Amino acid sequence: MLEVEELSVGYLGDDVVHGVTLTVAPGEAVAVIGSNGAGKTTLFRGICGLLTASHGRVTFDGEDVSGQPAHKISRRGLAFVPAERHLFPGMTVKENLALGAYPGRPDPATMDFVLSLFPQLADRLSQHAGTMSGGEQQMVAVGRALVSRPRLLLLDEPTTGLAPKLAKAAYEALATLRSEGLTLLLAEQQVPLALDLTDRGYVLENGRVQLESSSEELRRNPEVRRAYLGIT
Amino acid sequence: MTAVVLDGIVLGLQFGLLGVGLTLVYGLGGVLNLAHGQLAVLGAIAVWLAIGTGLPVLPAVVVGLAAIGLLGFLLDTTLMRPVYARRGDERVLLGLLLTLGVAFIIDGLLNWRYPIASLNISIGGDPISILGVRMRTGSLLASTIAIAAAGLLLLFFRGTTLGRGVRSVIQDEEGARLVGINPASVRNLIFALSAVLAGLVAVTRSMTSPVSASAGIDFTILALIVAVVGGLGSILGAFVAGILLGIVNTVSSFYIGQYITTIVLLAAAALTILLRPSGLLGRRK
Repeated sequence: MLEVEELSVGYLGDDVVHGVTLTVAPGEAVAVIGSNGAGKTTLFRGICGLLTASHGRVTFDGEDVSGQPAHKISRRGLAFVPAERHLFPGMTVKENLALGAYPGRPDPATMDFVLSLFPQLADRLSQHAGTMSGGEQQMVAVGRALVSRPRLLLLDEPTTGLAPKLAKAAYEALATLRSEGLTLLLAEQQVPLALDLTDRGYVLENGRVQLESSSEELRRNPEVRRAYLGIT
Repeated sequence: MTAVVLDGIVLGLQFGLLGVGLTLVYGLGGVLNLAHGQLAVLGAIAVWLAIGTGLPVLPAVVVGLAAIGLLGFLLDTTLMRPVYARRGDERVLLGLLLTLGVAFIIDGLLNWRYPIASLNISIGGDPISILGVRMRTGSLLASTIAIAAAGLLLLFFRGTTLGRGVRSVIQDEEGARLVGINPASVRNLIFALSAVLAGLVAVTRSMTSPVSASAGIDFTILALIVAVVGGLGSILGAFVAGILLGIVNTVSSFYIGQYITTIVLLAAAALTILLRPSGLLGRRK
């Protein structure tokens, strides 16, 4: 579904990500793990078109989308939930969710599904997104992405700024989406949560893929355990 | 007193329409359009020219406003492109310089070709009494148009998907791109709309007093005051500020004198900025 080949991308001519190759098959959940500054966010911004890659290719659903602007890639069915969420603070939760379906109107069944996934939002539809807590904003951000009915959901650090309990709840919601058949690619520093959810994982260090394996093997890998799972 | 305040509200709605275009263009792309008033006057002169060819008033207004809207669209797609390609202070500065240049060019062209042109649409009929106040038909028509335009605008921004899309770009451009909105085409549309609204205000003003070819700078200053007092980027703020300043304007010109009104307006703006730096309804960063 997604093939990233030798992608190099960065800011103002300085590449942060160097020649990364990764694939995501339909129905798969894939994790990109790595420490802060490893290039996960830059890689994701390059995939979804917010940054223009200096080298390499991104193919989504068999079509070369390299160099296309973010709004076009989004309309093709690749939804990106950034770590900073980028909600519309002066608009209500309902308006934020509905804009996911831009330029169309949201599909009622999809809206119902989002509200069943995040029941807290149902009572808050008329609250302004800017006044919500971090956990609730994360729900709105994921909800807004789902309303676009994506075929691939990219999540950058979905647990940023969340207390451990809320982080766990966020991953339970993601597990539900997985079981519904949605294809997921996520970047995460909370490595245990990410590896429990996903089928496969890539370890990113200094903008390069250091390791690529099934999530189960990564959990057993001594280096991963030492570097990311806090186990010696 | 009621008459003065009512006059102020009528004037204020037009101030709001003038300010809202400036505030939207700034909110979307960081460009403070210093040629806003010149576009308004150019719209009025386009209407005047259309009337001169023998067209009846209403079609002439439609033609004039369409022409100014097209010019706005063209300016945004050509001259403004290098501005939007830059970030931060550089973008704001380049935007100011380029639009100031456009203002000088429009002023110069008008002064050269039509130095004595002025649009003065006279609406006949007897004065009509509203709330015990006798209003001239021209002023009544101007206010009806202003109210209708303001209502349509608010409906557009609150009630339509495209309108919400425009607001989303103002609030978070990256978020807007992620939901599939192209900020560049939203900016094109709004720059054109902003020029049409500016032209419309010049047309409604011409129903009560003549709008001359040299009035551009006055309109620009007025639009700046309204947008800054309302909070740059705030649609509702522009209307609230417009109405408040409209009342300040008529009250001060009635009780103090016309010559001092601009000073009073500027003082009101300065006071607002001192008390609320982000404007009446502007969002604090």
